[in-house]
Amino acid sequence: MFQRLDLGHGIGLRTKHFARFLEQRPPVDWVEAVTENFMTDGGRPIAVLEKVRRDMPVVLHGVSLSIGSLDPLSETYLAALERLVARIEPAMVTDHLCWGSHRGQYLHDLLPLPYTEESLSHVASRVVAVQERLGRRILLENPSSYVAFRDSAMTEWEFLSELSRRTDCGILLDVNNVYVSARNFGFDPVDYLDGIDPARIGQFHLAGHSDKGRYLLDTHDEPVPSAVWDLYREALRRFGRLPSLVEWDDHIPSLDEVVAQSRRAAVIEAEELAPALRRAS
Amino acid sequence: MTLAETQALFHGLVSGELPLDDVAVERAFPGTDEFRAADRVAIYRNMYVGRLVDALRETFPNLARFLGEERFARLGQSYVAAHPSEHHDVGRIGWRLADFLREYPDPERPDLADLAELEWTRNEVFFAPDSPVVGPDALAEVGPEKVAGVRLHLSRSLRVVVLARSATALWRRMESGEPAELPAPGPAAVVVWRRGFEVFHCAVPMEEAAALRTAMDGEALDSICAPFADRSDPAADAYAALASWFNEGWISAVSVNPPA
Repeated sequence: MFQRLDLGHGIGLRTKHFARFLEQRPPVDWVEAVTENFMTDGGRPIAVLEKVRRDMPVVLHGVSLSIGSLDPLSETYLAALERLVARIEPAMVTDHLCWGSHRGQYLHDLLPLPYTEESLSHVASRVVAVQERLGRRILLENPSSYVAFRDSAMTEWEFLSELSRRTDCGILLDVNNVYVSARNFGFDPVDYLDGIDPARIGQFHLAGHSDKGRYLLDTHDEPVPSAVWDLYREALRRFGRLPSLVEWDDHIPSLDEVVAQSRRAAVIEAEELAPALRRAS
Repeated sequence: MTLAETQALFHGLVSGELPLDDVAVERAFPGTDEFRAADRVAIYRNMYVGRLVDALRETFPNLARFLGEERFARLGQSYVAAHPSEHHDVGRIGWRLADFLREYPDPERPDLADLAELEWTRNEVFFAPDSPVVGPDALAEVGPEKVAGVRLHLSRSLRVVVLARSATALWRRMESGEPAELPAPGPAAVVVWRRGFEVFHCAVPMEEAAALRTAMDGEALDSICAPFADRSDPAADAYAALASWFNEGWISAVSVNPPA
């Protein structure tokens, strides 16, 4: 049964910061590792991850499961994921509600799906298969999108909520992605938060994006903007305390700067949840 | 549209196999006069090529430096069009780049395929499984009566490649900021290995490369030493080579039995 974990506030483990992680444990509660970067038999990355895992919880976050693809689930991928999960014993295994491979070719992108009953049945059957294979629940993240589909019969939040109920998977709610997609399609991001099943959310992602004029691009290359922090506050009021993760994947600054973003998430969480906790006590 | 039709269309548009003005675009994706569906799909298409070229640049830093931003991007685009990714790890996209450069060589720099092969081999070695290391004592412990039949188990991260030109010389010049002149033609053997987390490479004589490959094939020590037979002092040269293999940490085990 899907269960929420109380991990606190984490950051992504990036190659640029390996040396700092090896020197001493940075002041974060947990780290997220991009799964595919550590599906290796040896070398520095997996050695660093094993060391970090001895210091703190690790969440594995995949980008190539391609859960929505019509290609068969990749046995090579699943076997590698299974080995990594056994090796690292992550607190969570997460990936994206997307597809990225077609007839054996990988686009290495997180492509959105049409939100139809056909897609829902297809993705649900694959989530069940992956969870049975791993012997654990996975969490799926809402993507940033730049296209919608005429065939979509439900909203993304309805799709994710129903998928989660059918398969008992969790939802990784990327607050930045909600904001980016809302701007790109002209809906109110708060409607997304109000519409998604609150009981199924297991983690928040926070990140920066780039304003390209006609659209926002999910670039993870700058600090979390104020609009995303504001939406995070809205999410906290609705969903309560959940693990948060600050993602920074391009133009990566110093570890201290990324950690400062994570600390800010903790401060905002305290600001939003302290009144509720005081009322409860 | 079915999910299969939608994914086939979207994949074709993003990968560049289908034109963005395909009539199916407007049928599948809503757009507006201000932001047409084709422009929305183009966001994915532009990111696709850029992402894979970035991955190639990360794996082939010296090739990228040699060619410069624009030429490397053009090479990457041509390569990705010919060899789309077939692996979940984007870091493996470049596994056929050296062959691609051999198939379509730069007329002025036919050695770029060799540089690409060296960089790809270094990339493989970086992620290869770890191995234990044994010193020359392991050979001494076998005893003189059995030494001719000894098998040397090489580190699982060790690679031996034979290139058409000396990419190590080009590499050295680039690293030291010297003009990257075309190396003289002629086969050049290179060993690539890892010590700790650091990857090294060095040129070796062709006989030594043959000896290493013989060892990798699981042959006994007398066969391993055979490639040195034409040297003026075969025993001394074979001994020197073996001693260096142990010193560099290339040997992970010594056994008197054939490999299982």
